[in-house]
Amino acid sequence: MSIAAFVLIGFMLTMYVLLDGYDLGVAAITPFVARTEREREGSMRAIGPFWNGNEVWLIAAGAALFALFPKAYASSFSGFYLPLIIVLWLLMGRGVAMELRSHFPSEIWHTFWDACFAISSALLILLFGVALGNLLHGVPLDAQGYFTGTFARLLNPYALLVGLFTVTALALHGCTFLVMRTSGPATERARRLAPRVWFAALLLYALVSLATLIAHRFELSWTAAIPVLTLAAFAWIYAAVRGGRERAAFMASSAWLATLMLQAAATMYPYLLPNLNRSIPGISIFDAAPSPTALASALTVTIAGLIAVLIYGSYVTRRLAGKVSVGE
Amino acid sequence: MDVVLADRLQFAFTVMFHYLFPITTMGIAPFVAFYTIKAWRGDREAETAAAFWTKIFAINFAIGVVTGIPMEFQFGTNWASFSSASGAVIGQPLAMEGTYAFFLESIFLGVLLYGKGRVAPALHAASGVCVWLGSWLSGFFIVATDAWMQHPVGYSLGADHHIRLTSLPAVLLSPFAWWQYLHVLAGAMVAGGFIIAGVGAYYLLSRREAALARRFVYSGTITALVFSMLAIFPTGDRNSATVTAYQPVKLAAMEGLFESTNGAPLAIIGMPDVHNRQLIDPVFVPDILSFLAYGNFNANVKGLNAYATELWPPVELTYYAYHVMVGLGTIFVAVAGLAVLWLVRKRLYDSRPLLWLLLLAMPFPYIANEAGWMTTEVGRQPWIIYGLMKTADGASQTVVTGETIFTLIGFVGMYFLLGVLFLYLTLREIGLGPSHEGVEGAVAEVRA
Repeated sequence: MSIAAFVLIGFMLTMYVLLDGYDLGVAAITPFVARTEREREGSMRAIGPFWNGNEVWLIAAGAALFALFPKAYASSFSGFYLPLIIVLWLLMGRGVAMELRSHFPSEIWHTFWDACFAISSALLILLFGVALGNLLHGVPLDAQGYFTGTFARLLNPYALLVGLFTVTALALHGCTFLVMRTSGPATERARRLAPRVWFAALLLYALVSLATLIAHRFELSWTAAIPVLTLAAFAWIYAAVRGGRERAAFMASSAWLATLMLQAAATMYPYLLPNLNRSIPGISIFDAAPSPTALASALTVTIAGLIAVLIYGSYVTRRLAGKVSVGE
Repeated sequence: MDVVLADRLQFAFTVMFHYLFPITTMGIAPFVAFYTIKAWRGDREAETAAAFWTKIFAINFAIGVVTGIPMEFQFGTNWASFSSASGAVIGQPLAMEGTYAFFLESIFLGVLLYGKGRVAPALHAASGVCVWLGSWLSGFFIVATDAWMQHPVGYSLGADHHIRLTSLPAVLLSPFAWWQYLHVLAGAMVAGGFIIAGVGAYYLLSRREAALARRFVYSGTITALVFSMLAIFPTGDRNSATVTAYQPVKLAAMEGLFESTNGAPLAIIGMPDVHNRQLIDPVFVPDILSFLAYGNFNANVKGLNAYATELWPPVELTYYAYHVMVGLGTIFVAVAGLAVLWLVRKRLYDSRPLLWLLLLAMPFPYIANEAGWMTTEVGRQPWIIYGLMKTADGASQTVVTGETIFTLIGFVGMYFLLGVLFLYLTLREIGLGPSHEGVEGAVAEVRA
């Protein structure tokens, strides 16, 4: 059952990356593709109805972690105190910027909130990537499972590399979404930007893979099959972008991100917090889980709720789909 | 400063600021749903009202969400020992809040805000109801979490003193939770009623928006009267009963009863002198406390002296918070009752003194709601889980005072800014009025 809980948390985080990933990505590329205030507003309108629901996947995954693996929740949240609070503040800045910009008709007001939105979103992507890098690499933990390093320690070269890769990955995802859901000058710029971001992502992916292989001393396991899928999806994105197939490009980008998340989960398993100090084991899904009764009830209730969410969420998304068009 | 005190200050500050917004969203969500449905049925005025209250709702919702996320994180960041020990139980209602309430509220608010003209009118109207349902469900899961900390049920203690869940239904159906939840809803609806009525009164006083303003005053005052009565009876009364049964020392602190007494009097006012164990300048109504607590004028009510001082909650804060809530709650019945009486006599819309009263009443339901939560939470001390775990043992072991103070300063700064923005934007929307056509940027329509 611990494994089912691990899969569930992984699923929720993957949904978060696929969904909030596109609106984070759109926010990060908007300063580069939207030149005028109207064009920026077009980008915001494209993600406006969805971003809040998308972000709930992160909140729900956090709460599910609390219920399914309380010990891991407690030690990781208190151990990474400062970085988490910074993530919180960025989430706050982003939410406020998105919601309040439209309530006052002034160009200065809009420009300020657009900048706030783009910067906090870009920093969030970077921090999420750095967090992922640390989780893959392992973090220094003591015997009780508490983090013993410093904030600066978390900004190590490997983690920063993963962070940069994440920025390009979600920028690409954002490009494909913007192309699919808007039309206008900004859309054309996003269309031209996509292949360039694709090459940057490819380069960084190669670097991250190499660094990971070196860190793991070239020990390969069955998970070595996943990169094949990743590369296939990656090639599919390029073909779809070049071919002008907008929906296919977004689908390909989603599939590609999902394989990356699968890879990350396979690398970490069975640990939720792998220990950098190899003499002490990290926090595994078996140590952190509560009693079987609690686990069974949390799993049942969460899975039932998520099925309902997927049904009405996809229904609503289809109803609200359609292009936001920005004239000249 | 002691780290536990710093953690408590941070939690108290962030939760009290946060709660201002859910009071409003829970309180006006039914009105948003009501006007949205009326609009769907072809009521043009209601369409204007729906658009206006949806805007106010959206500002409150946005700030409620961004200030709510830190609450959920803080269990882990600042209260790791508590979370690790009790996560198997309280993680469940919190996770349910995410999957059952937040998604519903957020996804359908997207439809409500952006869906007009893009989705079928019936779906747009239904989204108002879904947002309402989401906001009320969210409140339930939070109250269920809190009620478990007040009166733990459905658990067993493992050999390692870890708390194991034995029954999720027991946690969700706990009578403590249900009476507390209904009371919280009544409180939010009192606020909602006074907000709607107060805004209506403002327009009538400024001689604008006459038709809509009358509708606001009409619905608002009736809602405020009904729910301010429900807040006292049965929900307030039943809440007191559960406190009497499970937390008698909290009851003694709330009432400022230092000595166990037969036929205990009810202190209407008075200032507690904890050192000398008495109330200063009190006004008592004889025997009433015994009656309210046990339905018998001669019943023995245990005073604070029946308990070791280490088990006392902070007496002054608990006492004042409770008295502020009860005092205001009584005044709400009087104000709303007077307004409804004038409404029935068809003279309310022209009675400027009463409209002024309704306008000035707007902030007070917020104070009463916050005071009610202070009574509950401060009165729970020194326990974080009543009878099971002390607050002092619940804090994170690895976080030091300096870190918490640093983040507290950050939160104070950000929330100050948010508060200013919120007031400015809300007052601006109210000033522009429902009939004002929103200046929607320059973006063109959406193609299917």
